[in-house]
Amino acid sequence: MTKRILVVEDQEDNRQILRDLLGSAGYDLIEAENGEEALAAVSKNRPDLILMDIQLPIMDGYEATRRLKSDPEFKTIPIIVVTSYALSGDEGKAREAGCDAYVTKPYSPRLLLAKINEFLS
Amino acid sequence: MTDDLIAAIGQQHSDFSEAVGRMVEIRAPVQVADLADEPLTATTDIMLKAGFRARLIVPLVGAQGAVGALVVRRRVPGEFPKSTIELLQTFAAQSVLAIENANLFHELEKKSVELQLASRHKSQFLANISHELRTPLNAILGYTELIVDKIYGEIPPKALTTLERVQANGKHLLGLINDVLDLSKIEAGQINLTLTDYSVKDIVYNVYSAVESLANNKKISLKVDIAPELPQARGDERRLTQVLFNLVGNAIKFTDDGEVAIKASSSNGSVTVAVHDTGPGISAADQEKIFEEFQQANSSTTKEKGGTGLGLAIAKRIVEMHGGRLWVKSQLGQGATFSFMVPVKVENQVGHG
Repeated sequence: MTKRILVVEDQEDNRQILRDLLGSAGYDLIEAENGEEALAAVSKNRPDLILMDIQLPIMDGYEATRRLKSDPEFKTIPIIVVTSYALSGDEGKAREAGCDAYVTKPYSPRLLLAKINEFLS
Repeated sequence: MTDDLIAAIGQQHSDFSEAVGRMVEIRAPVQVADLADEPLTATTDIMLKAGFRARLIVPLVGAQGAVGALVVRRRVPGEFPKSTIELLQTFAAQSVLAIENANLFHELEKKSVELQLASRHKSQFLANISHELRTPLNAILGYTELIVDKIYGEIPPKALTTLERVQANGKHLLGLINDVLDLSKIEAGQINLTLTDYSVKDIVYNVYSAVESLANNKKISLKVDIAPELPQARGDERRLTQVLFNLVGNAIKFTDDGEVAIKASSSNGSVTVAVHDTGPGISAADQEKIFEEFQQANSSTTKEKGGTGLGLAIAKRIVEMHGGRLWVKSQLGQGATFSFMVPVKVENQVGHG
């Protein structure tokens, strides 16, 4: 069965890149542009994995991750958080929020795909 | 003086100030033996009604001009004794100093608050610009990698080569942005060391594995010499790794054949790491320049070898924040040895980054 990935990212270019990358790798994609939309999307259409950017309007990636991880219904969905380069607080905060893995921007699409495949195969 | 009196005087600011003004001009005490003999003003009226007859005003004049006045009133009319006036003048002199110091302190406090505000603005600016600069670059690099990975299908070999050049330039640009922002943060005093226990050996081997292929590609031999029994150290592991990576990267970059050797040792509570290369060496004049921002040995080097010329400036700051030193020993034609020494245990960073 085709695996479904929720991409939470506010920049259109980054969403396009992920669309092309993950699409060509055979994944189904749902998209959300901020943390709030992400929570709604998860309830509507349960994904197999979530790719969560941090810098999001309305509700940031940390908060959305925290909420998902404290919800018994959704906490088993793996969340890969995308952190920014060298903001040394990011990685620690991501781990504290409960993410399952993180990648730093700029991520190599190749490496990101490898990480996702790790969780979903 | 009672509160009512003070309030009443305060309301008569204008004619009272006239007397003070006169006195400040001549910078000498002014006295009135009997207020009853003076032309009646609102102030003198209040004073007389309160029972005061004689008045002495001693100016408080500092280096920057008048800061105030000492006013003494007496119920008995008559001139004030010379000794009293002199005593009050001494008192006035001390008061001027105290008032000027208080003013200076106040100024300093104000400036300090302004500086803090400016620094906060700068740090917000740096954070914003960091994000703004990297976002489009990430998109460029992301799309390019997808094309190169043939996600969109086959591409002609010439196009592939060109795209790889695009990627290389994009990555170089990213390196520049990161360097400039790093240095700005250091300049703005916003880098704080993350102090943890670390192993010098681990740092050396991490850098070694990161540069191994680079050295192999240039057919340069990469050597490591770590003294046995190196003590456990304490400092900012990530940033010291960055420093060593910069030194070794430079060594490899500027050496066309021969070897690059990394040596780690310790003595007297310090750890010293030296990076020696068999490159062209650095002249004495250039040795001074290279640690400054944006200076490379010469501009043709920049064009040939790339880089921002910021790495050494950043490395030097980081080492100094650990309370250490970074230096070079070299002679033209005889290679170069860059060394840094830091205390084994760094518990507090030195100054602001």
